Amino acid sequence: MLKVDDLQVVYGGVRALRGISLEVGEGEVVAVLGNNGAGKSTLLRTISRTLSLHHGTVVSGSVELGGKAITGDAADVVRRGLVQVPEGRRIFGDLTVDENLRAGGLSASRSRRAAAAARVYATFPRLDERRDQRGGLLSGGEQQMLAIGRALMSNPKVLLLDEPSLGLAPQMVDFVGALVRDINATGISVLLVEQNAAMALEVADRAYVLEVGEVALAGVAEELAASDEVRDRYLGVAPSPDVEPVTAPSVPRITTGERTPKPLRAEGVTVRFGGLVALGEVSLDVEPGTTHALIGPNGAGKSTLMNVLTGVYQAGEGSVRYGDDTLTAMRPAEIAALGISRTFQNLALSHTATVRENLLLGRHRHWNAGFITAGLRLPGARRALAEQTRIVDGIAETVGLGGKEREPLSGLSYGDLKRVELARALCAEPTLLLLDEPVAGMNHDESQEMARAIAQVRETLGITVVLVEHDMPFVMGLADRVTVLDFGRVIADGTPAEVQQDPEVLRAYLGSSDTANSVKGDLKS
Amino acid sequence: MSQFFELTLSGLSLGCIYALLAMGFVIVFKATNVVNFSHASIVMLGAYLVASWNDSLGFFGAMAASAVVCAIAAAALDVIFVAPLRRRAGGTDAVAILTIALNILLGTLLARTVGTDILPSGAPWGAETTSILGARIPQTRIAAAIVAMAVMGVFYVAFTRSDWGVSMRAAATDPEAAALMGIRLSYVAAGAWAVAGVLAAIGGAFFISFPASGVSSSTGLLALAAVPVAVAGGLDSPFGALIGGLVIGVAQTLASGYQDHIAFLGRGLGEVIPYAVLFVVLLWRPSGLFGTKEMSRV
Repeated sequence: MLKVDDLQVVYGGVRALRGISLEVGEGEVVAVLGNNGAGKSTLLRTISRTLSLHHGTVVSGSVELGGKAITGDAADVVRRGLVQVPEGRRIFGDLTVDENLRAGGLSASRSRRAAAAARVYATFPRLDERRDQRGGLLSGGEQQMLAIGRALMSNPKVLLLDEPSLGLAPQMVDFVGALVRDINATGISVLLVEQNAAMALEVADRAYVLEVGEVALAGVAEELAASDEVRDRYLGVAPSPDVEPVTAPSVPRITTGERTPKPLRAEGVTVRFGGLVALGEVSLDVEPGTTHALIGPNGAGKSTLMNVLTGVYQAGEGSVRYGDDTLTAMRPAEIAALGISRTFQNLALSHTATVRENLLLGRHRHWNAGFITAGLRLPGARRALAEQTRIVDGIAETVGLGGKEREPLSGLSYGDLKRVELARALCAEPTLLLLDEPVAGMNHDESQEMARAIAQVRETLGITVVLVEHDMPFVMGLADRVTVLDFGRVIADGTPAEVQQDPEVLRAYLGSSDTANSVKGDLKS
Repeated sequence: MSQFFELTLSGLSLGCIYALLAMGFVIVFKATNVVNFSHASIVMLGAYLVASWNDSLGFFGAMAASAVVCAIAAAALDVIFVAPLRRRAGGTDAVAILTIALNILLGTLLARTVGTDILPSGAPWGAETTSILGARIPQTRIAAAIVAMAVMGVFYVAFTRSDWGVSMRAAATDPEAAALMGIRLSYVAAGAWAVAGVLAAIGGAFFISFPASGVSSSTGLLALAAVPVAVAGGLDSPFGALIGGLVIGVAQTLASGYQDHIAFLGRGLGEVIPYAVLFVVLLWRPSGLFGTKEMSRV
């Protein structure tokens, strides 16, 4: 039905897909699993022809639907019977439920639209009750129903689902899983992209696991679910990776400051976006000089908490203190001046500049040459530049970028770019380093290398590290303590070993599939 | 007092014309996120065609023919110039500057064609006036108000009920999701430009009718008043365009009417008024009167 052959895709200079081949047979449910940055969304964008909206380019390979290559734009693909439910639902918030469905059926003839709408309303009685309500006012679960219903309006032969369980409550996740089965039973082939491995492997016939733009594993879903490799990747129950702390630092100490890390305490932090509670009374204790990990499924509130710590978001209630300073009352720049530095989940670097130039930018707070001295390149400014260059080269060395200082970023690998981000954060000489998904999109070896770099940095500089990550083996090997968030609340807190045993954590990550049918029954009645 | 009443009524009728012009501006922005400065020269094109064809086709015939031509011309501008830039990831700013260039080119061509002439619109009411509660109002302005209300009513129904309206609103909310549902964004965009062209032709015909003397080389420049009207009303709100038009129409007419009383502010104050009102509105409400605030995605 759908056949992807040796697909390679780049965004700018960054390679997102490195030769992916997969197939969805008639009447099959095929799951595609993988972490953030593995290339799942890129794969779907290429199939649904929305890649150009994201400025991606297909370098080689082909996508065939029913034996014929797909061409044209997204609207053409829909007319050939393939429709995608986008990640994050993306319903039309200003339109009513009825209008949303209408928008989904515009490519079909009028007579078929009425029949399709009747079918969708029969499948989702909740939507029927809310026909004239604006889509934006529906709950998350209802929005997912609407998004799927909207896609079904065009009578597709192949349905692509991009993370349908994202940010949904466990029962809703089970409902979505059962729904995928129901849709499949009506003869529609389904390509299901998920981070929720348990749900996806439960409903799929076959599955592919993507890792850094390549198919790492493929096979029958049941067999994959039982395999150690999949269990390791998604639960982190593997033996911890051997991160050997570097006791004898081989590089000069970077920090000249007398500042030492202080304890970080968050108490009852609550953040609301409109009516949505992103964080509910989250408390957190980070001892100075330790590595503390924040984990949790997508939408758990990890990045939100990170943004509260750096002052980007205002906490509605609660406070965050770093030593004697109350971060929640300060502006981002003041917080940075306290010695708190962060990296971003998605790279925020200047791609045309070299590694050294990017790092020098990070030294900006320690730069004392004025506008005029620097502009005229007076001796003082040149001395300062030489001094700063020496420092940033030392930092580059520490994180494993030695010898690459003069290279422009556009030529570096993804792993190296993540290292540049880490190095730039270190340039500010932080006492508290916040890392937002430092190994997202890295393969196993790269993430192990990153773990070594972070461990070395912490040992050498004696700073506190707080990191947000999805990659379980990475977190379990590196962190001293782990806090687990789910739906904006702390569900577990302890050492990696304690957290791994916690039944709440297993449930949040695995869901419980045995309740799927009963829940679905409830929702339908 | 009667002068105030007369000026207010006349301002409201001018406001209806402004609203028609601004509405085209708003539709293009809402559907394609393009701040379309070339709209002003499309207005002038529409006005010029009505003025040149009213002898042979009559005022309404000329207006209909002009609407068709303007719709095609505006859609062509989108397809030929704007769409390729949009496809190649030109930002909102780059596209806006492109439309400024198009406006200058097209405006210059039209100004050269019109030359030093002033061509009357040929509206059948001429310079007739009607008395409403003692206030004398030009009949063309009454006709303009009626036509504007009717056009906007038709447009509102189409916008909320028709397939075209649903696809345009869907594309305005989330272009990528709309494309994934099979909505052709290029058709939606060209359609919005064409509708803006129709509104420009109708608005343009009344814009140059009595008490204005006709289309002249500066009509395009005057029609740029649609920009402050649309921005003050809220760039993405058709209803805002109507209210913005009425507010600025009344303010401008009052300023011109009482010019002698406020002579210390200088002559020709009326022409500055749309921008002065815009300035005040934006200080108070940065997204315009009815515009949606920029919201970042959570």
